[in-house]
Amino acid sequence: MSSPDTETLEAPAASRQRRLTIARALNEALHQEMAADNSVLVMGEDLGKMGGVWGTTGGLLDAYGAERVRDTPISEAGFIGAAVGMAAAGIRPVVELMFVDFFGVCMNAISSLAAKQSFFSGGKVKCPMVLMTSVGGGYSDAGQHSQCLYATFGHLPGLKVVIPTNAYDAKGMLLSAIRDDNPVVFMFHKGLQGMGWLGTAPGSVVHVPEGDYLVPLDKAAVVREGSDITLVGLGLTTHHAVDAAKVLAKEGISAEVIDLRSIAPLDRETILASVRKTGRLVVADEDYLSYGVSAEVIATACEDSAVKWKSRPRRLAYPDIPIPYSAVLEQEALPNVERLVDLARAAMTEK
Amino acid sequence: MALVTIPDSMWDDDSEGFISSWFYADGDDVVEGDLLAEVMNEKVANELYAPASGVLEIVVAAEEPITKGQLVARIGG
Repeated sequence: MSSPDTETLEAPAASRQRRLTIARALNEALHQEMAADNSVLVMGEDLGKMGGVWGTTGGLLDAYGAERVRDTPISEAGFIGAAVGMAAAGIRPVVELMFVDFFGVCMNAISSLAAKQSFFSGGKVKCPMVLMTSVGGGYSDAGQHSQCLYATFGHLPGLKVVIPTNAYDAKGMLLSAIRDDNPVVFMFHKGLQGMGWLGTAPGSVVHVPEGDYLVPLDKAAVVREGSDITLVGLGLTTHHAVDAAKVLAKEGISAEVIDLRSIAPLDRETILASVRKTGRLVVADEDYLSYGVSAEVIATACEDSAVKWKSRPRRLAYPDIPIPYSAVLEQEALPNVERLVDLARAAMTEK
Repeated sequence: MALVTIPDSMWDDDSEGFISSWFYADGDDVVEGDLLAEVMNEKVANELYAPASGVLEIVVAAEEPITKGQLVARIGG
């Protein structure tokens, strides 16, 4: 990839780059899959006429009609519950929970119905639904519109939980998610989405093939190879980790960067292969610190007998506080490149 | 050499906008009609297309404030 900020080893080189934002890549995936499969249906708030506040569903209503592209009331418990029923009946619904922060009103449909449908029926009733939802802060939208809540969903068996880091992965992972017979929580970070009023990490805008391709939902990506220390990120913190690796490189430190891409299932083998090589680990997560993704990644490495630690593992995550509205306070609390570099330096100099 | 400017018709008033994303990099070959960039003004995304084919030279980076009529890129032959 010739993208300026993210090296994605798996994306094939193209003679002519066609860069897309994640929003446009998701929109293209939905258009293509709705054209290819009549059982795919899209449902949620402001998805039809408005085209989605995250730029994901523009043009779908005109192309596929109101039967398959449904605007819903503000009734997450209702339409996400309905999606579970549709999925049981052979439809492949893609529903959007506009902000993941709103999960409280519809969690029964997600964790007790969708996640357990296949288990409770002995595999006879599947749940091929995709729950798209936006995550992340950094733009002063306060404590009910800024959370990531990765671990909240990753903790519950029966769900796949994924988060793309760039437009290439976004399209291929959404196509995989729609075709998966399990419920997939598809999280996209507002700071990567390409909706300019939230800012956009430049590395998320990458070449996207026009045709059909799949990116697996259970594989982390080594987005930068290195030998001294392993930096693990997901979503926006992957971009922080790539930027941190560039800073560290100038200091002679070779950092390997892993983009988790999925937290359920978690690709433990890719994490372990890297930490066995480097012996040093820093995990960067924008979700809350305690009981979080960072702890799971570190525990995975600590449980492995083949890792020869050169320093203790470290983690950078959101402190255990509601997210402040004040931009000054919020920026102080968010993980960033500087703090990640500091932790990596500390890991490198520890005796 | 073609100049890429923000069209006066892109939005109504004289407020500032900014390019949220360039879809091509400096030095890329572009073809007339390619979607070059998304331009945000008052939370509305507008599309900026290539007026000619050639090598793109970006003048204004993403996230920098811009006004209508401003030169944001050149396309060389």
